[in-house]
Amino acid sequence: MVINKKVLRTILDNKAQYIGSLVLIIISCLLFTMLNQLAINMNASSEDFRESYVQEDASFISDRRLENLEALEANFNILIEHNKVVDYSISEEVIIRVFSEGTKVNKPAVIKGEAVGENGVMLDPAFAEANKLEIGDSITLLGRSFTISGYASMPNYIYPIKEETDLLNNPNAFGIAIISKAAFDEVKQGSSFYSIRFNDSEMLEQRMAQFKDYLKSQNVSILKWTNTSENPRVTLVSTKIEGMNQASSAMPVVILLLSCVLTGIVIRKMLKRESVVIGTMYALGYRKLEIIKHYMRYPMLIALSGGIVGTILGAFTMNPMLKLMLKYFNLPLDKISYSLQYVVISVFLPIVFLGVSCYFVIWKALKSSPVELMKGGKDKGKVGFLEKGLKLNKLKFATKFKVREQLRSVPRSAFLLFGVILSTVLLLYGFAAKSSIDYMIKDSYGEVFKYQYEYVFNGLQLEAPQSGERFSVSPFELKEDAKTSFAVYGVQPDSKLIYFKDKNGNNLSTDSIIITKPLADRLELKPNDSISVTNKLDSRQYSIKVAAIAETYSSESIFMPLRQYNELLGYPSDSYLGLWSVEKLDMPADMLLRSATADDFKKAFDAAIEPMQKVIGIIAFMSFLVGLLIIYVVTSLIIEENKITVSLMKVFGYRKKEVYSLILNSSSFIVILGYALGIPALLALLKVLFASLAESTSINLPVTINYIYLVMGFFVIIFAFELSKHLSKKKLNKISMNEALKASME
Amino acid sequence: MFLKVESLKKSYKTGEISTQVLKGVGMCLDRGEVGVILGPSGSGKSTLVNIIGGIDRCDSGRVMIEGADITQHKDNQLTDYRREQVGFVFQFYNLIPNLTVGENIEVVSNISKKPLDIDSVLKAVGMLDKKFRFPRELSGGEQQRVSIARAVIKNPKLLLCDEPTGALDFSTSREILKLLQQINKDFGTTILMITHNTAISALANRVYRMRSGEIVEETINESIMSAERIEW
Ligand SMILES: Nc1ncnc2c1ncn2[C@@H]1O[C@H](COP(=O)(O)OP(=O)(O)OP(=O)(O)O)[C@@H](O)[C@H]1O
Ligand SMILES: [Mg+2]
Repeated sequence: MVINKKVLRTILDNKAQYIGSLVLIIISCLLFTMLNQLAINMNASSEDFRESYVQEDASFISDRRLENLEALEANFNILIEHNKVVDYSISEEVIIRVFSEGTKVNKPAVIKGEAVGENGVMLDPAFAEANKLEIGDSITLLGRSFTISGYASMPNYIYPIKEETDLLNNPNAFGIAIISKAAFDEVKQGSSFYSIRFNDSEMLEQRMAQFKDYLKSQNVSILKWTNTSENPRVTLVSTKIEGMNQASSAMPVVILLLSCVLTGIVIRKMLKRESVVIGTMYALGYRKLEIIKHYMRYPMLIALSGGIVGTILGAFTMNPMLKLMLKYFNLPLDKISYSLQYVVISVFLPIVFLGVSCYFVIWKALKSSPVELMKGGKDKGKVGFLEKGLKLNKLKFATKFKVREQLRSVPRSAFLLFGVILSTVLLLYGFAAKSSIDYMIKDSYGEVFKYQYEYVFNGLQLEAPQSGERFSVSPFELKEDAKTSFAVYGVQPDSKLIYFKDKNGNNLSTDSIIITKPLADRLELKPNDSISVTNKLDSRQYSIKVAAIAETYSSESIFMPLRQYNELLGYPSDSYLGLWSVEKLDMPADMLLRSATADDFKKAFDAAIEPMQKVIGIIAFMSFLVGLLIIYVVTSLIIEENKITVSLMKVFGYRKKEVYSLILNSSSFIVILGYALGIPALLALLKVLFASLAESTSINLPVTINYIYLVMGFFVIIFAFELSKHLSKKKLNKISMNEALKASME
Repeated sequence: MFLKVESLKKSYKTGEISTQVLKGVGMCLDRGEVGVILGPSGSGKSTLVNIIGGIDRCDSGRVMIEGADITQHKDNQLTDYRREQVGFVFQFYNLIPNLTVGENIEVVSNISKKPLDIDSVLKAVGMLDKKFRFPRELSGGEQQRVSIARAVIKNPKLLLCDEPTGALDFSTSREILKLLQQINKDFGTTILMITHNTAISALANRVYRMRSGEIVEETINESIMSAERIEW
């Protein structure tokens, strides 16, 4: 049809209006394709890793060596492997955790190079890269020289964090090394642990409980037991992928909806402008369906080109993104695959979304009769009820003009408001996340935990220590809900190294049972409530009555006097598992399960926050772009609508500045309002996000945002506004005075 | 009779007030005749012609085209009627701004059953050399020629012209009128034309004079003047 020739011409004539929709669709499809394909690849690879390299179902440490592993394997239908591990300091700052090579369970996947052989060592690639260690280099570990034979991933260390409680890994300071069992035996260091994998994964909990019972009956004490389902080195990957899945459906859809509204507004505006053309076509004998078909080409063209460009860009950006992810998550990846299904969805989603929304807009516009359309549409020059209702007459002319401008097109103003809210949320999202983490760090390492060093022994200690404060810790889960797990600490009743406050700011004595606020919130506990819990080491049940709630976000834990702790769990009355200290203690390495310093944590945090800052920067920039785009498109719509007014103003002798101020500043109020509303919207969103984070990782973040960031965000939004005003000035200048005269003929 | 209008009534409601724009209009035209409607501004001329052309609806009365009452037509029947039988020439041309002259005419030739040849029609209106120009690159008279070409391309039985010369100067107007007379002769097209200009009524077989919604005078001309000789 010949009239379709005008589609592209019209779009090019009004580039500014359509470009907004186009870019939004491109961003949306880019994100959709990238995130989905990324999640699919990561999922496939971690699933493959789990099966092909026999990921453990649990690992544990016992107080003595287990005899006759073959018999255990046969009796419980499991694979069980004994391995050793030791932390070795390469330098003051850098610790490498050396494992003996798993041959049955947790088999390492060689990513590059070769397996360890006799004198070889494999490193995790991120650590190797950060410390400039290459294949073929020699490295001294545990007093012996090894040759780096290759890079590898371990199924139980996909996210290589040093402590299970760490939020983020730091490849500069911590890494994994794998050497052969024979080589490990030679160095005569390290502690033992067992990895088990159940051949039948049904009723895993029960099978584990049976297994633990059996060990207990053999007088074997389990010092530490970690289910893979609770091992953050594994679960953080699934959490990330899941988060990505959520983001990959939510973000693009929100942006797509935004572009639907925007396109709808632009199309509506165009139909108004074209109403004479439509009326004429009607009069010339065109059918309604033919006209609808013609006008549907506008959104379809935008949707299709945006969808294709965005999908292609998404497919291209997926690869570098995947590489980036694999820097954090140590997963073997043979090949990148693309899911055709998601490519198709990505291309067609905008077509469907825009198609439906624009169909209604067009259908509604064509309801008028040909004569009405030729006279400029039904509601040409109609004054809305909002505008009528407001008593504007007392205001200054300029204010009146601006207010009318916003009220005249409510959908346009609503769109602007919503768009500014959205970009505010995106913009401040990263800042708020950083504020919250900062707050949490300060809270745990400034206010609550005063110790600098933490030592955990590889067995219960009975003799009184030379110095330091004794404590014990054991993992528990809720009796009714095994997914809710937390730590119970036994601490000295007169502890000088941990300080808790209740919500009124009063100090709480450690001579009573204290529960931290995140855990209390999750379990919905009040002081003096009791809970039934299961100890994960022996799978037995206990009841604990909490006395007070501590106002801290540092962990999900219960603290009780050490005496009471030992009594409850049936340990010797003065026994303890670890020491806290302000000074560094001299401890023989072979007695320790692990040690940590508060400083380590802070350093790791600083190193890890660095890439995060980059991501925050990128998100902030993107949201700036979205904000700029929305404001720009709305501004150009306002200009387009006021062409005749502007032209007349020029005829009457208005100066450029006066015109700018009347037309361009009319939306400043909405921009500021949008920013102000964006802040509570963000806080509400974060509350939900952090709650789900706490659910899956037991990391509790308080929702806070630093005032500095609020001020910064405000300036960014205002900058976007000013920039779009600046870009629009040219358009205002281009409007000729003839416009007013020509228009009167139409 | 080719066209017969009987006691046509139409009123508009603006808020509470209802104004009667057509108060029972009657008129007729034979096949191949030229009719002219004269009358002051606001007397209801456009309203009448729009109803005859099937782009507006009346409240009561009949509009018979070759014996069929189009006021009884459903919307899609009306569309077919416009598509196959009626050509429109509007006072302000109503060309589609983003299409060239040639394309503007294709807009209609595309949907008609037996369209005439575009180039020969363009030649007839003297616009063949400007076929690839956009409407904004044409003068008012040139635009009106294009709009006439667009109206006749489908070889309509009935050509409705709402002040076709209203925005044009004398000599351009005469050219347009010559064109319309030519079309009437060559194709036997029935033409109904609105004008303010009494001089133009000399070109018509029948002249109707309207005042505030009523036909106040009907004149049948025995002989018709050639547009060449028209003067005002
Ligand atoms: N949509 C409408 N709503 C209310 N009144 C209308 C509407 N359209 C036309 N009218 C009124 O109907 C009357 C007839 O209008 P019409 O356009 O038929 O006049 P006309 O004779 O063609 O005038 P002109 O010579 O100025 O074109 C006018 O008084 C006009 O005010
Ligand atoms: Mg009129």
